[in-house]
Amino acid sequence: MSAVKARDRALDDAVVAARDREDVVIGNEIVRHRFASRVIHWTVAVTFFVSLFTGLPIWTPIFGWMAHLFGGLSVCRWLHPWSGVAFVVISTFQFFHWLSDMKLEENEKDWLGPGMVKYLKYQSDDSDVGKYNGGQKLFFFAASLGALGLLVSGLVMWNPELVGTILREAAIFLHDLTFILFVAAIVWHIYLGTAAEPGTFGSMVRGTVTRAWARLHHPRWYREVTGEDGGDRARK
Amino acid sequence: MSVQNLEIVRSSASLWGGLTGARTLPTVSKLIDTSTCIGCKACELACQEWNDLKNVSTQSNGTYQTLPQLDAQFWNLIRFDERETNDGGFVWLMRKDQCMHCADPGCLEACPAPGAIVQYANGTVDVNPDACIGCRYCETGCPFNVPKFHEKTGKMAKCTLCVDRTSVGLEPACIKACPTGCLHYGTKDDMLALAALRVTQLKSNGFPNAAVYDPKGVGGTSVVTILAHGDHPEWYGALPPDPHVPWGVKIWKNIVRPLGFLAVAGAFVAAVGHYLNFGPKEVKGSSDSEANLPPG
Repeated sequence: MSAVKARDRALDDAVVAARDREDVVIGNEIVRHRFASRVIHWTVAVTFFVSLFTGLPIWTPIFGWMAHLFGGLSVCRWLHPWSGVAFVVISTFQFFHWLSDMKLEENEKDWLGPGMVKYLKYQSDDSDVGKYNGGQKLFFFAASLGALGLLVSGLVMWNPELVGTILREAAIFLHDLTFILFVAAIVWHIYLGTAAEPGTFGSMVRGTVTRAWARLHHPRWYREVTGEDGGDRARK
Repeated sequence: MSVQNLEIVRSSASLWGGLTGARTLPTVSKLIDTSTCIGCKACELACQEWNDLKNVSTQSNGTYQTLPQLDAQFWNLIRFDERETNDGGFVWLMRKDQCMHCADPGCLEACPAPGAIVQYANGTVDVNPDACIGCRYCETGCPFNVPKFHEKTGKMAKCTLCVDRTSVGLEPACIKACPTGCLHYGTKDDMLALAALRVTQLKSNGFPNAAVYDPKGVGGTSVVTILAHGDHPEWYGALPPDPHVPWGVKIWKNIVRPLGFLAVAGAFVAAVGHYLNFGPKEVKGSSDSEANLPPG
């Protein structure tokens, strides 16, 4: 037996499949995010937090201590625009990587209002939820739009001599507003992806979820992937 | 910036400490009488020489002006304008463009680097290159377009009011060099008294609109300018008639920032509250086996 085969035997089949395949069932697990998806997600996350933690000490001296994580405020001032550019570049990849999965459906349009409240109270009818629910799709578009807003305003703040005073002031305002909303949304993104919905974080680390997780959160996706009824419709 | 720490009364981005206010000093001021400036540029050279600034190539724009605007290595620029007066007259106007050393400095307000812009007890506004991070926010904060970014050092630079001279009892280099006596230096009270006298003279000599430029929108400046055509400050090298700290900077510091804190803190609190009220949304039962179907 070759060494390669021995190594593969020690591995979980689902993890191996998750290297390059998605939406496949392996035993009790379903591959939700293949390796490429996870790399894109975590690269966006790292560049986002580097940008955030280099930006906050510049935003207000209350967060001045964060500058020491990077070697001082001057390093933050140098690093912030470049990590921001990296964030936008990888966010662009992310946008096109996931765009086809993120088409908002008619019944998801109320997600900005009552839909979200129902969902958070665990009162929503999730039986028709596909791979991503309305909230995830809205967050996807909001994050992409936010990246664009941060880029445009950031470029102005980086090169203030190119524009007039009014545009510079508007850029500062837009940059602040966008990142504040972004951070508030990220707080909930992390909360929902970890504490509030166990099993979700694993889908972005291992790449896989359990069948039960898929049936609970994304029943229609479960039916599509497994070809099974999933028990969700039958119980009505 | 020289060693003036005991005289710092205001410091950028400083929440706690950093200010001593141990010494009180009378506010000082330059007085610039534009009506007696002959545009000889002696002050420009004196500034370059005393502050040891690298020579900047002049750029002609067809007037008697040395450069289109101030530069990181050129802190004192005589601006030149030709204007037609309302009664058909024609005037040459010279104005000494430099840091105005505002009592309420927009640059200091906008600066995010602790201690990078300071104000001394005598009113001087100074940049501390050690603390400056070159973010250029002060460019946005300044209503007079004064601070300039030095590409090589990555720091901001502007007139220091020759703090290294004034702190040892000398007058600023430009004042020392002026051959016509149109530049004066002293306490602000003395300079305002002198300016009022000169304005009275101008008014009785055919300049009824002569005025002192000491704009209140920035709390007054430590560079007081006498304008023979005081009703048109904009004639003098685009001097703003009513300068103030930009609204964008004020809104950012006083409204957006506290609201931002509230928004993010609110998101945290809401998430914790949600968890305590609703708990995690998970598959019922302890294991994820086939037997544990979600509730229908």
